[in-house]
Amino acid sequence: MTKGRPILAIATLMAVAALPLMVAPASGQQLSDRAKQVGHKFMCMCGCSQVLTECNHVGCSVSASMLKELNQSLATGGTEESITQAFLQEFGTQVYAEPPKSGFSLVAWVMPTFYLVVGALVVIFVISRWRKRPAIEPAARVSGTSHVSPELLQRSREQAARDTED
Amino acid sequence: MATCGLIFVATFSLEYLFFTDNFSIAYVVSHSNRDLSAFYKIAALWSGMEGSLLFWSFLLAVYVISVLIAYRNKNGELMPYVGMVMAGVQLFFLALNNFVESPFKALAASGANGAMNYVARADGNGLNALLQYPEMVIHPPNLYSGYTGFTIPFAFALGALLARYPGEKWIHLTRKWTMIAWMFQSLGILLGAHWAYAVLGWGGYWGWDPVENASLLPWLTGTAFLHSVMMQEKRGMMKVWNVWLVIWTFLLCLLGTFLTRSGVVSSVHAFAQSNIGPWFVGFMGLTLVVCFGAYLKNRDYLASENQLDSVVSRESSFLFNNLLFLVACIAVLSGTLFPVFSEWFTGSRISVGPPYFNRVNTPIGLLILFLTGVGPLLAWRKTSTESLKRNFGWPLIISVAVGAVAFALGFRAFFSVICLILCIFVASTILLEFYRGSKVIRARSGAPLAACVIDLTMRNTRRYGGYIIHMGMVFVFIGLTGAAFNRDIQKGMRVGQTMQIGPYTWVLQTTDTKPEKNYTAHRMLVEVLRDNKPMMMLFPEKRRFAGNNQENGTMVAIYSTLKEDLYVVFAGIDPETQMPVIHAFLNPLVKWIWFGGVVVVFGTLVALLPNRRAVLVLAGSPKPAIEPLPNVLTPSVTLREGHD
Repeated sequence: MTKGRPILAIATLMAVAALPLMVAPASGQQLSDRAKQVGHKFMCMCGCSQVLTECNHVGCSVSASMLKELNQSLATGGTEESITQAFLQEFGTQVYAEPPKSGFSLVAWVMPTFYLVVGALVVIFVISRWRKRPAIEPAARVSGTSHVSPELLQRSREQAARDTED
Repeated sequence: MATCGLIFVATFSLEYLFFTDNFSIAYVVSHSNRDLSAFYKIAALWSGMEGSLLFWSFLLAVYVISVLIAYRNKNGELMPYVGMVMAGVQLFFLALNNFVESPFKALAASGANGAMNYVARADGNGLNALLQYPEMVIHPPNLYSGYTGFTIPFAFALGALLARYPGEKWIHLTRKWTMIAWMFQSLGILLGAHWAYAVLGWGGYWGWDPVENASLLPWLTGTAFLHSVMMQEKRGMMKVWNVWLVIWTFLLCLLGTFLTRSGVVSSVHAFAQSNIGPWFVGFMGLTLVVCFGAYLKNRDYLASENQLDSVVSRESSFLFNNLLFLVACIAVLSGTLFPVFSEWFTGSRISVGPPYFNRVNTPIGLLILFLTGVGPLLAWRKTSTESLKRNFGWPLIISVAVGAVAFALGFRAFFSVICLILCIFVASTILLEFYRGSKVIRARSGAPLAACVIDLTMRNTRRYGGYIIHMGMVFVFIGLTGAAFNRDIQKGMRVGQTMQIGPYTWVLQTTDTKPEKNYTAHRMLVEVLRDNKPMMMLFPEKRRFAGNNQENGTMVAIYSTLKEDLYVVFAGIDPETQMPVIHAFLNPLVKWIWFGGVVVVFGTLVALLPNRRAVLVLAGSPKPAIEPLPNVLTPSVTLREGHD
């Protein structure tokens, strides 16, 4: 097999794997795209713990009436904000599918980024600290009187054996 | 050993009560009935709180016995401590079984003279309809085996800390046990996702439900641990971190159980809830106190030899890998608990649903995927520019080229394009790594490439098993990408009516009702056509189960290919029109997730195998004399690149 063939084979394999992804998303069938988009931001309040547009309970009067209200509101020029306010008054804060980006709920959004940034800073600090640590005293290596303990030497040997295994 | 034996007796006794339809026992009445098949009578054991706690004890006993047998005459300084920790955990679950949630409570009623008499029901209530699905017989045992399995590395970590046992040694002893627990946890999570996909009928497999999240938390920290232990094994680094990582993994197993069984957070998957919450809080607190005390007392023994030559090294990639897994874990945990916190602080409970988790975890997942490709090919200590070019040149070119083609074809979903590029990048690095190694073997042996790949893998099972696991994760990510393109339609249909999704036409051909032993099936026959040519028949059904509960269950019909799933649910009868409602989905790439899961498990099994060459050398030739090393403590040969 020539050098280029495996790469070509990999590229072909990957391209075949990627083909199904080229399917373009279709528009909604019963709800408008806008209604689906807005409805995705609320939970169904029937207790199913599902997003409003995904509640699959046949005859679920709650999701049906919520979606009807949402559709009507959008049809009469209602905004996402006005729909949110209406649902909040009706169901309380449990209607949110994701916490709003204001008030106490902002904590939910900020914290993951905060963890990531602080964690990354800690990792960078640790790496720089480890890099600054001196390697084991070279003088001891060349002098005839090594003060290396047998245990340490043995561990070095074992480590070398491990590191050089295939 | 005796305790383990008694737990086995208790577990098999409960199963015996199920199989003999002993309806004088409350737990049997609640979770079984006479018509329940033997297959599901096995699963009834863990369908409720009491039985699942006993099952937990049973699995832990299996692990404990295995560990005790495996190390019966070895590691004499360590094993008493390990045994003590394992016994402590076992004791906690046995206390729950005996004093809080006993599965052996008999039914009783007051007689005429006021005395309590044992009574027996004629039949039981039956098993929860959602649990009467084949995967429910294998999903919980796998997940529980994962949860309980993490007790073993925890016991070794805490035991080693208490005994001041050498760090590399306990890590080495527990590696296999950790991998086994991790494998079961992975399998349990995937089977649970498949069960949700095939039974709940909402067209998805992961809803970020608290129970699902609870299973993911220890998996995330466990995965971080499996990576960071290599730092300790190879370089003697991160000893404190590893001890705490395994402690947190164990605590997260307990926390997951506490969250889902105490009612603190509500879940559609919680089949067993009771008031065991305070017990778990107490035990977690006690565990934390013991671990922290042991750490304070013996922390000097965990002094590490942390020293790094370069930022571009395997060590750095492991640090970032651990950071990302930890951030993902904390993000999932804080999202799961946020409704509780919001209620504490504001007085109103704010829901955190799937959109939040998807938004927060998608970038983290993609970063992890990126490191999956980069990390394994960086060298320990330092990676040269030449090595970077050699290892990442072609994968980078291929992945960017495919990304550009996808973009040119109108593929605009940002995260999906990034995920696609990363999947191709990671897969390319892995395949090239296999190819390069195999090529060297083939040059020497002349064997076919496939044989060389197997030979290469068997020479270093840990390294190449790891690559296989990474490849499995790439497949899982490809499958997850497809979710952005799911389509569905729900419609009330009369026989002969049609509906359309994409190129497929769905026709409701007939409906009928068929009585079975333990349920009555209300079946739909849906024909699928493509370009007006018949493709297949799908048979979704609703089941009305026998037993006092008279519950409904859903059997989704799925036609699955690597390209897409045709998924159809008989959602029920519309109460207004009395028409059957069909909910059809076109879900691209889902099969890649299950296929990826199988590859992950296969890779783990490969990584658990001993290296072939090492066995042959030891068996066939005398042990070579160890050449005395010069007085060099840091062997230069560790600069070798691309090592596992």
